[in-house]
Amino acid sequence: MDVLFLLIPLSVVLALAILGALAWAVWRGQFEAVDAEGERILRSD
Amino acid sequence: MQAAHALPLASAVPGRDGASDAEVPVDDPDRFGRPLPDASGRWESYLAIEGMYCPACTLAIEQCLAPLPGVHEVQVSGATATARVVWSPERGEPAQWLRALRLAGYAGAPAGDQLAEAPRRREQRMLLWRWLVAGFCMMQVMMYAWPAYVAEPGDLAPDVAALLRWASWLLTLPVVLFSCQPFFASAWRDLRALRIGMDVPVALGIAIAFGASTAASWSAQEAAGEVWYDSVTMFVFFLLSGRLLEQRLRDRTAGALQGLLRRLPQRAERLRPDGATEQVAVHRLAAGDRVRVRAGESFPADGRVLEGETEVDEALLTGESTPAPRGPGAAVIAGSHNLVGSVVVQVERVGADTQYAQIAALMERASVDKPRLARLADRIASPFLLAVLLAAAGAAWWWWPQGADHAIGVAVAVLIVTCPCALALATPAATLATAGALARRGILVRRPEALEAAAGVDTVVFDKTGTLTTDRMTVVATRVRPGVEPAQALAWAAALGRHSLHPGSRAVAAAAGELAAGWRTTDVRERAGQGVEGGVACDGGAARVLRLGSAAFCSAAPVAGDGAQVHLADGAGWLASFDLDETLRPDAAGSVAALHRAGARLRVLSGDRQAAVHRLAGRAGIADAWGDRTPQDKLDTVRALQASGHRVAMVGDGLNDGPVLAQADVSVAMGQAVPVAQARCDFIVPGGQLGALPLLLRQARRTRAVIRQNLAWSAGYNAVCVPLAVLGWMPPWLAGLGMAASSLVVVINAARLARLPEAS
Repeated sequence: MDVLFLLIPLSVVLALAILGALAWAVWRGQFEAVDAEGERILRSD
Repeated sequence: MQAAHALPLASAVPGRDGASDAEVPVDDPDRFGRPLPDASGRWESYLAIEGMYCPACTLAIEQCLAPLPGVHEVQVSGATATARVVWSPERGEPAQWLRALRLAGYAGAPAGDQLAEAPRRREQRMLLWRWLVAGFCMMQVMMYAWPAYVAEPGDLAPDVAALLRWASWLLTLPVVLFSCQPFFASAWRDLRALRIGMDVPVALGIAIAFGASTAASWSAQEAAGEVWYDSVTMFVFFLLSGRLLEQRLRDRTAGALQGLLRRLPQRAERLRPDGATEQVAVHRLAAGDRVRVRAGESFPADGRVLEGETEVDEALLTGESTPAPRGPGAAVIAGSHNLVGSVVVQVERVGADTQYAQIAALMERASVDKPRLARLADRIASPFLLAVLLAAAGAAWWWWPQGADHAIGVAVAVLIVTCPCALALATPAATLATAGALARRGILVRRPEALEAAAGVDTVVFDKTGTLTTDRMTVVATRVRPGVEPAQALAWAAALGRHSLHPGSRAVAAAAGELAAGWRTTDVRERAGQGVEGGVACDGGAARVLRLGSAAFCSAAPVAGDGAQVHLADGAGWLASFDLDETLRPDAAGSVAALHRAGARLRVLSGDRQAAVHRLAGRAGIADAWGDRTPQDKLDTVRALQASGHRVAMVGDGLNDGPVLAQADVSVAMGQAVPVAQARCDFIVPGGQLGALPLLLRQARRTRAVIRQNLAWSAGYNAVCVPLAVLGWMPPWLAGLGMAASSLVVVINAARLARLPEAS
């Protein structure tokens, strides 16, 4: 079970990275008008 | 950044019909843009965009603005119809954006008020982010806690267990240090003021649980104590969920009104005396200016149409978007939408004097007004919280001999499980939701406390003129004393009638039109319920004292005829009578039927003649109609009804029934006879729709039921859970769940009020 000593700290780093990505999304305003964000993929470019 | 003031903002912008306007100086660049806080030299500016009707428009506008030179970032919000542009002053200018928008089919204008919105938006984003941090850390920490829960003793190696605890600690740290900041800040503020607020037990519980868990994790002992990282993170997550929902609810109710009010434009096209037009900021308009408002734009101020015919959408007042025709001479209000044609409007009231501003001020005042029950809840909260702190300390002391771990767990559970915030939220959440929902239907709540009284109303008393009938009457016939010209009498009556807001006076003034122009009045006095008295003279002539008003006031003999009448008298007695024709409001019969179905008894009290009142009330469906009532009679009637145990709602125009409206349990003002700012009633229906009354009663009853449910729930919850926690039967995670669920239940229950039944 020694691999846990690698995996668990890795999971901590991963969780922090996800939080960083969420922060980026929140501060760019992506959670404010969720309908428009969903339609963004329909853009032709 | 003073150099930035040299922004090249003035340039020719093509008008909508292709003609080029003159130089359009975008005055006050500071009002809609400012430098970014970082030292990049870029500015952020806000534009209010008109013509956005679908979510796809946000993408279209972003595509339209993003390629322009100097623009770094464009964010468009469909909900508020604004765009935020980050740009470099050296490489671009706002005039280009406005031109590009016009070519794309939208109208853009600088949005100065968005600058004020920025702190609120920042606050919303912070809360969202804190909630997300708490949520993700909670999920991860629960995963780490899982092995400790399911492992048989001896299965889990101590170093792996220590690793898991270390990882849990690391991920709980952001939650406690960052997500909990609002609670700690608020608790610190309360403690400094030597007061126990609702966040004090919460902050204490979190601090104790985290502190004890940290001590247990970092101790050198083999069998370290219990840790509560999963409980702490879960608890914080649920607490923040409650706050987020509460914030969304508040934004939706206040924001719904904001959405209606946001239609005030930023700029207007003013006509100069020489016929040329200029674009000015709306805050620069003054009474007496003439502005042109095109189709698709909003009216910038209250005024009167001078030229042109159009239809307007006055959802601001009536809550419905049905187009209403407006021609020359008709009044328009700031914030309403011009639908069909271009008109020239003479501005009468601007800024804080407009109906729009008064309604906004009224709603703001009402939203901070604390009803009686909420104040009561606030008073109970402090001693209750003190009791909770003592109970937690007592429980810890009691359980300490059986293990410090268990004692701390019990103390934390007691601190966390109590939720006086549910008690404090019970009433405001409900009244706020109802006030917002009613405002969307055109009913303004001036005193939220009146909602409670409105729920118990069983008798509704109507005034007739201006309430059951529309407040516009027309003169259909004139009778005069022998020797007097009808036109002359009409002119005199109009000269006096100009000074009164009574519908009869207004009808006479409207009928006379230009005839009354040459007459001056002196020493005019109005007697409520009776009439107007004053001296009338043409230029240079002698003044004669005249009276305009009811039959009793003018010593007129009762004349045959059922309709309303207005009489004129001078020193020698009766001079003239004007027969008026009034129209029942179109929704009167339907509303009366709905009120009957709701179980209310209806009555009409009016100062007009008995026969006319009876006939009109019959058409509306009300059998109990009394005419020839003086204001004192009306007051006595209401008092008598109240003395016999009835709860009375009085519906009037807010102008002539002051004392009666004050005496009634609930007062409702219909129409626009009284400016919103000066009304003294509980509810105001500026659009005059009678259908508002059954809706109001129904909604008030629902609100009362919801408030009672909320209070019962929060009281019951506390009564059951605190003893359970003291007895040690509540683990901290369950306490956290219960606490959050309790306030969520209250908020969601109140949110049910925001949905109104369809208009019947």
